[in-house]
Amino acid sequence: MSEDAPVLQGINLTRSFGDGDARHFALSDVTLDLFRGQLVLLMGPSGSGKSTLLAVLSGLLRSDSGRVVASPSGESVDIWQLNNSEREAFRLKHCGFIFQGYNLFPALSARQQLEIVLRWGEGVPSREARERADDMLGLLGLAKKSQLLPSSLSGGEKQRVAIGRALIKTPQFVFADEPTSALDWAHGEQVIELLRSAAHERGSTILVVSHDHRILPFVDAVFHLEDGRLDESDGVQGKAPATAHAED
Amino acid sequence: MSYTLATLWFDRQRYIPGVLAVAFSALLIALQCGLLLGLFSVTSIPIDRAKANIWVGPPKVLSVDVAQKMSEGKARSWLEGQPEVDIRSVEPYICKFANWTKPNGGVELCIIIGSRMNEDSLGTVPELTPELRMKLTEQDTIVVDESELERLDLKKVGDTAEILEHKVRLVGTVKGMKSIAGPYIFCSMPTARRVLRYSSDETIYVLARCHDAKDAIPVVHRLADEQRQKDEHLALSVFTKEEFSLRSRVHWLTKTKAGIALGYAALLGLMVGAVVTIQTLYGATMASMREYATLLALGIPRWRLGVTVVTQAFWIGVLGIILSWPVVFLLAEAAGLLGVKPQLPIWLLGGAAVVTLIMAIGAGSFALRAIKRIEPVNLLR
Repeated sequence: MSEDAPVLQGINLTRSFGDGDARHFALSDVTLDLFRGQLVLLMGPSGSGKSTLLAVLSGLLRSDSGRVVASPSGESVDIWQLNNSEREAFRLKHCGFIFQGYNLFPALSARQQLEIVLRWGEGVPSREARERADDMLGLLGLAKKSQLLPSSLSGGEKQRVAIGRALIKTPQFVFADEPTSALDWAHGEQVIELLRSAAHERGSTILVVSHDHRILPFVDAVFHLEDGRLDESDGVQGKAPATAHAED
Repeated sequence: MSYTLATLWFDRQRYIPGVLAVAFSALLIALQCGLLLGLFSVTSIPIDRAKANIWVGPPKVLSVDVAQKMSEGKARSWLEGQPEVDIRSVEPYICKFANWTKPNGGVELCIIIGSRMNEDSLGTVPELTPELRMKLTEQDTIVVDESELERLDLKKVGDTAEILEHKVRLVGTVKGMKSIAGPYIFCSMPTARRVLRYSSDETIYVLARCHDAKDAIPVVHRLADEQRQKDEHLALSVFTKEEFSLRSRVHWLTKTKAGIALGYAALLGLMVGAVVTIQTLYGATMASMREYATLLALGIPRWRLGVTVVTQAFWIGVLGIILSWPVVFLLAEAAGLLGVKPQLPIWLLGGAAVVTLIMAIGAGSFALRAIKRIEPVNLLR
């Protein structure tokens, strides 16, 4: 499942917001390693910096200092040394995102939500995009709902479509922000199972930010973040070789 | 169905104001131009109602009523040298602005229309009945449209007035020959020449007809090529009936203030359309901000989302234009009932559609600033 070398490293990451007395550190010298095939949970109270860390690691928000080194295909790259279009291309090739809201286009069917990523992102021909979207919806148990609009889908089904949209490109990294927060546990469990199988079967590295303790039994590693610092006594579970430390 | 059309249909309530604004723009442009074209078609009435299919005039003719005199003999011999031209048909024709002095004083601008009065004359309008033509063969007699009597201060047949200080007498009236610039004064060629102090060889136009009407275009083109070899101040103007009619209308349309007024009205329509379309697209894009932000996070290039907005603008433009056409024709009919019949040729409707579509796409490009404001990191806050 996982390999020895980390595929994504956050090294001495610091990020603050505001100026002067109002300056607030969302991240303080955070270092962590993530490995291939891991489902990793990032926990912490509100305002602890979880979403900021996810944004920095995923190339959406630049840190004040520190580095984010990704090695999706062996070769390492500091994603914040890339220019904007190179970073956009990196995200296109290697990153999938699942957000708290489903953020599905209300006018498009489940299939079209997935197709659009392939067609607009990679220029995949329409027939191939359709086949790949149908395959993914089949894996997610939504084969019969491919033509339905979001308004005709349940919350759990919408989130599965959002997961499909994140996984359709077969990305190396998937970043999920509170993917189960809007769901009852029956649907939340389905979602986390899907993410776990994506990590274990596809070899993706999946970082989930969540408050939901019910997820804990399903993940390979857990990081706790509080006041912008990682807890050194991480509740690492199972055999995953996740490492983390805050260098104070 | 494309993603864009699916979105437009699903969210039609949101997009309707934009479609209506574009329809309003297209309607305003087409109808304004059509009304003006209809109005200025009056300026080419002498050409449109005449039977001639070849018009030869002095150098640099701009419009049928704006030309200097020339030698009839020169143009006549030139036309008679063309095998396709019916030699018997070649005849002089005068169309000239002049001052009309009313019987009780005061001056009005009028347009003298002088032509042969025989039955097969090429220049005479069909409204001049054989009886009127007979009367006009009498020296210094005229016929006017009955609606112009008051403007010319004439009360009845037999009244007299002066044109360029030359006395003329009214011998009859016609209907449907009202002009916008100055009343048409129909008379014979000899009368026209006497009033304008032209010699018997002087005219403004020489008209002709081909044995086969289809030959008019090649003959005119051949003659025009021949004239182009000459000094431009000496080269005679030569047109087909259709060319000269259009040239006269376009001249009045572009060289008068009415053309500028049309431009402003059309611009106003376009501005209203553009502002509403921009707001519609901006609002729609901002409403889908979270969905677009998700795609940006996934690495979809920002320009690709921009293409989507511009494509929406294109379809809003197309739908607005299609919606405007039946209304344009309906209002044109209504205007016709009020006595002003707009002309709506295909090229005018096509031109209005192209201008409106460019406006809609421009509005879409302006709405792209909404895309620029979207930052995917905001989804994580």
